[in-house]
Amino acid sequence: MKFIGLLLAVIGWLLPVASLTWTSSLAARFIFALIGIGLCLTGILGFLNRAYVKHAIWKK
Amino acid sequence: MRYRKLKTLVRGFVLATYFLCGVMAWAQTPSQPTTSSQAIPAPSMSAPLAVKEASPPSPEEMAKGDPSGTLTGTVNDIPVSNLKTGLTLADALNQVGQNKVAINFVWTLITGFLVMFMQAGFAAVETGLCRAKNANHTIMMNFMVYGFGLFAYWVCGFALQMGGAAGVASLGGAAPLSGEFALHFAGKTWGLWGTHGFFLTQGGTYDVAVMVLFLFEMVFMDTAATIVTGGCAERWKFAAFAVSSVFLAAITYPLFANWAWGGGWLSQLGTNFGLGNGYADFAGSGVVHAVGGLSALACAMILGPRIGKYNRDGSSNAIPGHDITMVLIGCFILAFGWFGFNPGSTLGASGGGNLRIATIAVDTMLAGATGSFGAIFYMWIRYGKPDASMSGNGLLAGLVAITAPSGFVNTIGAAIIGLIAGILVCLSVEFIDRVAHIDDPVGAISVHGTCGLWGVLSVGLFADGTGMGSVKGLFYGNPGQLVAQMIGVATLLGFVFTLSFTFNLLIDYFVGQRVSPQAELEGLDIPEMGALGYPEFVLKMQGPGVTARAV
Repeated sequence: MKFIGLLLAVIGWLLPVASLTWTSSLAARFIFALIGIGLCLTGILGFLNRAYVKHAIWKK
Repeated sequence: MRYRKLKTLVRGFVLATYFLCGVMAWAQTPSQPTTSSQAIPAPSMSAPLAVKEASPPSPEEMAKGDPSGTLTGTVNDIPVSNLKTGLTLADALNQVGQNKVAINFVWTLITGFLVMFMQAGFAAVETGLCRAKNANHTIMMNFMVYGFGLFAYWVCGFALQMGGAAGVASLGGAAPLSGEFALHFAGKTWGLWGTHGFFLTQGGTYDVAVMVLFLFEMVFMDTAATIVTGGCAERWKFAAFAVSSVFLAAITYPLFANWAWGGGWLSQLGTNFGLGNGYADFAGSGVVHAVGGLSALACAMILGPRIGKYNRDGSSNAIPGHDITMVLIGCFILAFGWFGFNPGSTLGASGGGNLRIATIAVDTMLAGATGSFGAIFYMWIRYGKPDASMSGNGLLAGLVAITAPSGFVNTIGAAIIGLIAGILVCLSVEFIDRVAHIDDPVGAISVHGTCGLWGVLSVGLFADGTGMGSVKGLFYGNPGQLVAQMIGVATLLGFVFTLSFTFNLLIDYFVGQRVSPQAELEGLDIPEMGALGYPEFVLKMQGPGVTARAV
């Protein structure tokens, strides 16, 4: 879970950066940037944090 | 006969008309220049100037004193390069140039001193929002982050960030900072880090302009580093904090700052890919605050919540700070220091459109005020009382959000950005606390992380094209700028957070990030620092089932 979360965050960063070389369309770049931010947030809060909360001190 | 007379008459009339037109044309022909300015050739750069015409005061007059201040500071004070020749035009012009750079040096240094004083504000806010039993530990983290961060930044952080940032015109160029490591990919140059300025000597960086830049950039970095201590307060091992701060100052912060401010690839998105002016972050909503806030998020996740923060069913308990007066005084100190943070980021007050500092200062004031409005109204409506600590956080949220756009937006834009930030910080605190179950004792993740990211995006929306670099956002007709800002946000989330998380995970493995449960319940002052912050207080131990008291 933790690894998947970090991986998603990195992909979310690299996707919009790489899209700069794939397309010159502003709309396409906007969509890639939006997807990238979404992937980053999903990775950090949806996977990584959930993995930590699963074993949180207050659940013991 | 008659016909001949008529012909002569017409011919005479035509000649008279020609003559008259000739006279009129002559009268309207511009006369040859006879003004004295054109008659006298331009003075040579090395020719002596007529100093007497400036009527400088005599030594006798000066010896009598100058109570009105009208005699001090005249042509007599301009240094001459050759005593025999006396004052020349070259001397006067050199002095004008040095005066401009001197004004900018003094401006940048003084605003840097203001930013340094923000450390006191952070210390007061964070310590006030923590419990009394952790006061010594919390304020010591805020105190020592200055030294740890400064040292690491001097060794390598500054070089990685600004080593290739030559061309700072307002400070005379800073020419030695001319080394940038870059990759060439897809036909473009991607600047990654600087290579000049290690120990402020390597690469010819023993230079006055470089020193000014170092001081100013160093206090910015330290602001980012001190944000993390708030998010991790009351449970962070001091040794782990020290290592983590050094890493942030040496690697994490400088890398992103290079990409945004040091000539790196983010700043070149406009030149290379036509995205507005490239990633624009005037004073650091992203570079400083989001980097600090996201690093705080990474550390807080690894550390986990404080004992007693959450119940078994996942509901959270409020753990109030011990001194709200200290918190709000700290907020005021921070708001004061922000006048160094934002207007100082012009790196000068003279030349190159730097008089924009007036607008930047007013934008900063306004966004702080509307930020506190947003937060206080949200809390008042939602909970029935105007919450003091959230009002303080609202002020800071507005200031954080306006940091990136302050050089590019008008006052209406600034007020809206601040207001949204004030509401956003309340929503974010609730989300982080209740949904994500991340314990952030001072709200650092929400204030600096969430509102820092909002500030970055707001440049792409509200920049009106009249400010520094003519940056224009979506609302003023340039959607490309918004895309550049969004790529900056993705970089902060995907690169900065991941790098910070990975390194702090390594610290957790080798050093251990969290104090023992016993130390946490007792308070970190004695176990970690060896002395209580308030030795005359009777402090209650907190936690489930704990009733003992410690003095």
